[in-house]
Amino acid sequence: MPLKDSEAVVLRSYPLREADLLVTFFTRAEGKVRGVARSAKKSKRRFGGALEPLTCVKLYYEDRERQELARIDSCEILDSPLTTAVDYARAVALGHVAELLDELLPEREANDALFRLTVAVLRSLRAGAIWMPLTYFELWLTRLVGFLPELGECVVCGQTLNGSRAFYHALADGLMCAGDKRLASSEMTPESRALAAQMFRTPVETMAQQVWPKSKAADLRKFLIQILERHLEKKLVTASMLDKLQ
Amino acid sequence: MSKFAEPMARLIDELKKLPGIGAKNAQRLAFHILRSSDDDAEALATAVRDIKAQLRLCSVCNNITDVDPCSYCSSATRNLRLVCVVEEPTNIAAIEKTRQYNGVYHVLHGSISPLHGIGPEHLRISNLLRRIDAGEVDEVILATNPTVEGEATAVYLSQQIKRPGVRVTRIATGIPAGSDIEYADEVTMLKSLEGRREI
Repeated sequence: MPLKDSEAVVLRSYPLREADLLVTFFTRAEGKVRGVARSAKKSKRRFGGALEPLTCVKLYYEDRERQELARIDSCEILDSPLTTAVDYARAVALGHVAELLDELLPEREANDALFRLTVAVLRSLRAGAIWMPLTYFELWLTRLVGFLPELGECVVCGQTLNGSRAFYHALADGLMCAGDKRLASSEMTPESRALAAQMFRTPVETMAQQVWPKSKAADLRKFLIQILERHLEKKLVTASMLDKLQ
Repeated sequence: MSKFAEPMARLIDELKKLPGIGAKNAQRLAFHILRSSDDDAEALATAVRDIKAQLRLCSVCNNITDVDPCSYCSSATRNLRLVCVVEEPTNIAAIEKTRQYNGVYHVLHGSISPLHGIGPEHLRISNLLRRIDAGEVDEVILATNPTVEGEATAVYLSQQIKRPGVRVTRIATGIPAGSDIEYADEVTMLKSLEGRREI
């Protein structure tokens, strides 16, 4: 089998046998690819820091006949999260991006738009400035995987929500007007809906200068996480850790 | 029907649970134990029993020990005011190999790992903070791994530890001794340039 190459983002790695690592990549060419990096645990010479989660790499790999896992030949680092400071909040945010991609991406299905989004968001995700890039990522990810409902109208009656109050609920498929909201619904502020609209027409790099406090668009993030967790049918480990951040 | 007699199958099942041991290896080890002398088999069984019965964590530094405090913490020749923080007890052996470090240790038993749901509250930090608050420490060396998780742990600890009169340092990251710069990856090279020193 010929050696393949692709830009890729490292999502996770697990120890395999004595010295190997089983690594999950999000490749630009083939989507999620899992492969074995031989001796990666024992010798750092071949892979160095290239297999750290959320490192952008040029990946060289080989598919083997009748085997599900690829053989990882080598990785060249294109961008690493370790080049800038990694505080606890940034580590949780990076973990959140990795968990979402690992859980939502199907195996071997390329998604160029999502790949470009991931790389751009990772560049903007800096220590002390995680909330804007995270919100941007969650919003676009939910849209690109096809789970995002129309934010401008009530999911029950179809009434336009522009200018009126909007509510969301863990079991509802979208936003609801005041008349159709369920018991124990939460309100999404007009500011958060306006931010969502702005994020749909602005590149993340343009918004990267803005440092958001945790409270900004918190309702939008909660709404998006509820949608994603409902589709995944499981709780995201990193979502609760993000909640606990000060 | 089982391929092996029940005690043999049970031993194979237990051995298979060890890291790096598959079914074949477990089988080979089990037959080796069967063929070994009664004394050797008894010594192995006793060693396994003792490791659980006699070993515990040092109340000062969390290192695995059979006496409390451990040999490092109770040493008369070590500098008790210099504390090196490591992720795992096995990291101590790597530092001891240098034969240059004369301080004591603090073992966290892990690092912050958001993907595994491990936050700072899961690490053993409280007794380190108690030592620092009691004024027993002059310098803390953060020797967590130079990975995303290790860096996050080091940054978190540095924020928690910072006190007047306590120096907090981080081990250097860079080109390994005896290697070739040509083969260093970008991150390692960047870190070694950032951490350069005057000679």
